Amino acid sequence: MTPPPAESVAAMIRPVPRAPDSKVNRDLLAVMEGASLGYWALLGLSVAFVGLAGGIWIYQVYKGLGIAGYIHPVFWGAYIVTFVFWVGIAHAGTLISAILFLFRAKWRNAINRSAEAMTVIAVLTAAQFLGIHVGRIWKSYFILPYPNQRGLWVNFKSPLLWDTFAITTYATTSIVFLYVGLIPDLAIARDRAVGWRKLLYSVLSLGWQGTSRQWKSHNRSVLHLSGLATPLVLSVHSVVSWDFAVSIVPGWHATIFAPYFVAGAIFSGFAMVLTMMIPVRRIYGLEGYITNYHFENMSRFILLTSIIVAYAYGAEYFMAWYSGVESEQTAFYRRAFGPYWISTWTMILCNGVFPQLLWFKKLRTNVPFLFVLSVLINIGMWFERYVIIITGLSSEYDPAAWGIYTPSWYELGIVAGSFAFFAHLFLIFLKIFPVVAIAEVKEIAIHERSHAHAGEH
Amino acid sequence: MPDVLGIWNDPGDVAEAVTRLRGRGYTDLETYSPAPFTEVDDAAIEKPSRVRLFTLIGGLTGVVTGYAMTIWMANDWQIMLGGKPFSSIPPYTIIAFELTILFGGLMTLIGLLVFGRLPSTKIDPAYSARFSAEEFGVRVRCRERDVAEVEALMRGHHAKEVSLVGA
Amino acid sequence: MAELDRRDFLKLVSVSAGGAAAAGCSDHVEKLIPYVVQPEEIIPGKAIQYASTCLECPAACGLHVRTREGRPIKLEGNPEHPVNRGALCALGQASIGRTYHPDRYAKPRLRGAGGAYEEIGWDKATALLAEKLGAAGGRVRALTGELGPTLGSLFDRFLAAAGSSGGRLHYEPFGYEALREASRAVFGAGVRPIFDLEGADFVIDFGADSLETWLSPVEHARQIESAREVTSAEGREARLIYVGPRLSMTAGNADEWLPAKPGSEGILALAIARVAFDAVRSAGRPVGGDPGLLEGILAGFDAESVASRSGVPAETILRIGRAIAQAKRPAALPPGVALTSRRATATTAAVLILDAVVGAIGTTVLLPAEAAAAPEPASFREILKLVDAMASGQVAVLMLGGVNPVHSLPPGAGFADALAKVDFVVSFASLPDETSERAHLILPDHTPLESWGDAAPQPGVRSLVQPSVRPLFDTQALGDSLLQVGRAMGDSVAAQLPAGSFRSLVEAAWSGTDFRAALIRGGVFEAAPRGGALPVAASAARIEFKLPQFEEAGPYLVLPVPSPLLHDGRGANLSWLQETPDPVTKVAWQSWAEISHETAKALGVERGDVVAVETGFGRLELPALPRGGIRDEVIAIAIGQGHTVGHYASHDAEGRAGEARGVNVIALLPPLTDESGGRAWLTARAKVTATGAHARIAQLQFTDNQRKRQLAESVSLAALAAGDGAAHGEAHGGEHGSHEIRRPYDPVNDAVPESPYRWGMAIDLDRCTGCSACVVACSIENNVPQVGEEWVLRGRQMPWIRIERYLGDGEADLENGRRRPEDREKLGDVDVRHSPMMCQHCGAAPCEPVCPVLATYHTPEGLNGMIYNRCIGTRYCSNNCPYKVRRFNFFDYQIESWPEPMRLMLNPDVTVRGQGVMEKCTYCVQRIETARQDAKNAGHPIADGAITPACVQTCPTHALQFGNLKDPQSGVNQRIEGNPKRAYHALHVLNTRPGSTYLAKVSRGAEPEEGGHS
Repeated sequence: MTPPPAESVAAMIRPVPRAPDSKVNRDLLAVMEGASLGYWALLGLSVAFVGLAGGIWIYQVYKGLGIAGYIHPVFWGAYIVTFVFWVGIAHAGTLISAILFLFRAKWRNAINRSAEAMTVIAVLTAAQFLGIHVGRIWKSYFILPYPNQRGLWVNFKSPLLWDTFAITTYATTSIVFLYVGLIPDLAIARDRAVGWRKLLYSVLSLGWQGTSRQWKSHNRSVLHLSGLATPLVLSVHSVVSWDFAVSIVPGWHATIFAPYFVAGAIFSGFAMVLTMMIPVRRIYGLEGYITNYHFENMSRFILLTSIIVAYAYGAEYFMAWYSGVESEQTAFYRRAFGPYWISTWTMILCNGVFPQLLWFKKLRTNVPFLFVLSVLINIGMWFERYVIIITGLSSEYDPAAWGIYTPSWYELGIVAGSFAFFAHLFLIFLKIFPVVAIAEVKEIAIHERSHAHAGEH
Repeated sequence: MPDVLGIWNDPGDVAEAVTRLRGRGYTDLETYSPAPFTEVDDAAIEKPSRVRLFTLIGGLTGVVTGYAMTIWMANDWQIMLGGKPFSSIPPYTIIAFELTILFGGLMTLIGLLVFGRLPSTKIDPAYSARFSAEEFGVRVRCRERDVAEVEALMRGHHAKEVSLVGA
Repeated sequence: MAELDRRDFLKLVSVSAGGAAAAGCSDHVEKLIPYVVQPEEIIPGKAIQYASTCLECPAACGLHVRTREGRPIKLEGNPEHPVNRGALCALGQASIGRTYHPDRYAKPRLRGAGGAYEEIGWDKATALLAEKLGAAGGRVRALTGELGPTLGSLFDRFLAAAGSSGGRLHYEPFGYEALREASRAVFGAGVRPIFDLEGADFVIDFGADSLETWLSPVEHARQIESAREVTSAEGREARLIYVGPRLSMTAGNADEWLPAKPGSEGILALAIARVAFDAVRSAGRPVGGDPGLLEGILAGFDAESVASRSGVPAETILRIGRAIAQAKRPAALPPGVALTSRRATATTAAVLILDAVVGAIGTTVLLPAEAAAAPEPASFREILKLVDAMASGQVAVLMLGGVNPVHSLPPGAGFADALAKVDFVVSFASLPDETSERAHLILPDHTPLESWGDAAPQPGVRSLVQPSVRPLFDTQALGDSLLQVGRAMGDSVAAQLPAGSFRSLVEAAWSGTDFRAALIRGGVFEAAPRGGALPVAASAARIEFKLPQFEEAGPYLVLPVPSPLLHDGRGANLSWLQETPDPVTKVAWQSWAEISHETAKALGVERGDVVAVETGFGRLELPALPRGGIRDEVIAIAIGQGHTVGHYASHDAEGRAGEARGVNVIALLPPLTDESGGRAWLTARAKVTATGAHARIAQLQFTDNQRKRQLAESVSLAALAAGDGAAHGEAHGGEHGSHEIRRPYDPVNDAVPESPYRWGMAIDLDRCTGCSACVVACSIENNVPQVGEEWVLRGRQMPWIRIERYLGDGEADLENGRRRPEDREKLGDVDVRHSPMMCQHCGAAPCEPVCPVLATYHTPEGLNGMIYNRCIGTRYCSNNCPYKVRRFNFFDYQIESWPEPMRLMLNPDVTVRGQGVMEKCTYCVQRIETARQDAKNAGHPIADGAITPACVQTCPTHALQFGNLKDPQSGVNQRIEGNPKRAYHALHVLNTRPGSTYLAKVSRGAEPEEGGHS
């Protein structure tokens, strides 16, 4: 007999004879199929908000930044606050994928895909605010070190340049990470999809067949990417925190900022994963894959980081008092008892106090409670950035030039738009890509099966 | 030459079968697994993947580029800023670090494509959707007269089906 | 901004394109059209100066009008002029705006039957007025401001020729009539004394507000502050004592503030005079009059009795009396506007008697000869007579020029109604105001920058006014209008009028002098003595010194305060004066009622709560501003706001035509005079009630507590005398001596080592009075946009320099940081520090390293450069600036801030910043470059003093000095080195190594030292 010619991918594009399929595939691929009315409603709503925010932004570019609430000397406002917030959200994904991977914490498999997706989406959301914030968006390409006839480069001493590089790197690496993890699952989808999806997945899965060579390189790549992403995830928010720490503004100029911000980022990141995954799990009946065990582990992380953050709050006040620097003391006094006391106490309650309830196992496994708490934490973390940035600027060294900032409706509209932007991308992701890492789930499933099997021998 | 395809449910059996087959000199074989199983992969290919080389090269390029670019640009046109030295290493280290990660990550991806022979427009005739379900496959290319032995070996290691590809 | 112009379009394109490539060229494209025929002496790019005179107030300061390509772009003081010696006040600086004001009358206007104005030609207008005058049959009157000798006499000749019965009245809202009458009563000479404070060593200001508005503020500020200069060589420094119910700007600069009961200044002066009298007598010195006579006058006024009536402790009176008796060149200054009660003449007389007793007459207080005295404004009584005449229909034609009585006369005087009874009112205003808008015919005058003219403010000072720009509109000089009309009235009238144009009249008037030299110098200035001395005349004994009575309507005494910026309101239509905050309260664009914290409690109001102030004559509603530095029974309201006409003066520009900006306090006052017919201001008590409404106050300073942060330092005189900076250290907890406070100039990484220059500035807090002239000068020189009330309320003001006002060293009390405003003023306690704050051009500038695009950087000469074209507006530099001197263009101000034709006055040497970029003080880099160019042409390095930034140039008290820090001989270095105990860097703990060095204020303390004067 002579071997028949190899078939082309195109030839594969026909429904395979109903091969014995696995429950895992069916369950997890089901998420991507069909969309309920509720889904479309939600998507429509978020797209509408994105449109609104876009409109506001165009008006702002046309009229000038003055439509925002800035008041001398508070020249950074809600935009930068929200930027830092989203960068923070972006931290859970890579942390779960990379660090937990290195620690071989297998429970991550159920949630890492969604977390990575959130990372990418959050970074994209955050990055926009750099553009929204600047006074002359139409000149913002100046920040790139490109050769020009002026022979002028850029200032690599500026934390904003560090930001640019850190955010770019983080976005790129996260996307690579997400995609590499997706390849095997896309192959699974390819083998079962029809029509345009078939074509899409065939292209995206790059002809993956799960051969040893592919799996070997894949494992390696994931390992190395994790190795690279681990310091990266810790560095990104450190760099963002240095935007403030390297300045001389009282309330910003603190060495504790890097660890403080990273902890806060992971804190908010995990909270956001909960906020997003609890409904998803409920709606698509993924209880079998994303179990309370996963939620409890995440709660533990939230508890830990909450303690770190709370400690940081305390440390800041202690240093302000201990340093004996009047400007620092004033800044922190005004933070707690000045015009911004509401924001400050919101932050302390949501980030420092409420999460302590997670000491109780009952609550760690109580899903409705976790959902409410995660939302509160998101609110608290937004206010944390608000408090740090705004109160710092509002009372600096020259008391004659103090000012009190309140965000304008335009600003808040754009901030709301950013949440809509995040939501609509996540909703789209749900329908196009497997929201749980199927191959990795299978890996565990098969192992368990074969061990049981081995037992029978 | 004919391709013999065996199908398993259990990765352990696959690993053993592969080891045995290769031991008997059937080196032209390919395995298909629904998920990464080191025992199977190692049985098929001993040497670890050389993706790491790419990662290393990428990382080194990044760190060098980072420092070189920042220092050169700062001195190409020296501009005084807050009385700081033109080549201030600490801030430039951050740029170098970020580029290390960036280039390293991208090179790793390239490594994956190169060593995973991706993207490939051809799908082996032996491959089927079963392998993206929960079954394992081993394809062995052998001479006509060895088919029987290969089949025996496979069945000997709990292959639940053995067939001739395309037959 | 209404229609979408190319620039905005490109912006949108670039936005929707998601990128910026398209917008690379998003700047105005304008054609440069070269001169077809190059005018003589105009070199494009080079400024030409014309010497002229400022006619904003009767002080008549000398001007250098700086013109570029035929357009005045900046007013600067004439250094040769004896009145201002090169300086200008805020009003003078801003007055250039009149010429380019968007409101200007472009043509003559005639009110039609419907009341609406129509523009008409000059011939028609002239003929019409001539006809009306002809028909008036002598029932012609004129009411004008200060016109200067030539124009004044022409006007009088014209009226005479036109057969006017009453003639012309010269009306000044701030006429200070009591001065003349008092000196008539005390010395028998009906002349206004001249106060020459040069070298004075002891000055008591009885509410004259001599540094703000009184008589000749620029001159007096210079004289007082230079007399107070502390030179360690001989410790000759004048004490300044202020008497008044409110911590005014002048009070804030005094060494001692006696918050006496308003109205009691006179008896207080007499009590002091009585103490001094004994001291002088016992010292065997003359007392400036017949001792017996004086003794008789002073008899009733012993310290104890006066203490109870004035609220000033007896021992204070005794101490001051003895001190002033010891002084070599003392001076007592009589009340200005705010404290002119119905006994103003007696009060003024009392102060003059004090002057006589201590021998000030003839030294610091000069009595000029009747002939040489400057023309006096008519007394308030005469003005009221004119109003009666108008009301009773005795005036057929009223000619108005340079006055706005509808705004500046109390409604009770009934001027507006009387005006309606005049058959034909003609106004010569060049800008609309409440009065001109009521005229039948408007014959728009040139602005001073377009006019010929002259002024004679003092004996020996003849100042020339010459045009520096071709008239922008179809206007005509007042003088020429009169001549035209006169000729149109027929030969009989024309024959009585001089031939030729008004310009020829001016030249004729100056024929006795070298006219060309006068044009270059700005006038003729003789060093001749400006006046002499006279003994106290017997008539003085007939003056009765009693406390004034007030029109009772409530418990609170209304104190109408002349605004240091708006003067009597004539400055209200100049945006710079509106946007520059009041030197004391730091409020801009608005009216406010200053009350004490006690009063506020009593009324149950807080800052911004609207109160209703009601006298028997009017009712006003305005926001309350509680503060510590004011007596409980007083409610102080600044004069000058409350206009209903004008682009900036009212809300016209915001499309609320006819709506007044702020309130006009004059509406509360009765039309009363003092004993001798002078205008009385301090006349009414008011009922004050809370309305429950609340208004936002545009207050630009958050607090007066500097929290020991070493922004505005002070050194005690004792410490200076002791020659150590210890006290300097005490000021902030003793942890620093002055030698640590001061960072010697350190060129490391600051300027290129081989560059010969490192620019720097010395800022002397002991000389800064807070007058804010520098703020206006800077804004005009550097095209700084004025953003308007709405945006000032939202903290968007743009000034590159601000005057910070702090009380003492402040305290680090955290509690204080909570509520706004944090007000630490106390009655009678005066340690006010005015500190100009602009970019410090730090050697280690925090703003520079944080800019991602190198838009702000350090020049080889140590400047902190700002490149607008490169700025992308991250605003990080502002966050990191500890001095908070950076300003951001939140909008495209180019259109709103300079409505046509105002953009003609933009300084072509300075970029007009676009939307979205940061800006700040540049040390007037354009002037540095000009000086560099001149030096290069002359082939020598830039000489010291060749560069004067706008703020330095205009400062009346020479508080600022600019120069090269690398040159040890430069004036700025000399000044810093000369005051080692006072020199320090603001916020030096941050080690920013600024280019600006401050010289600490000297706190002289209340107790004058004996040694101080020997």
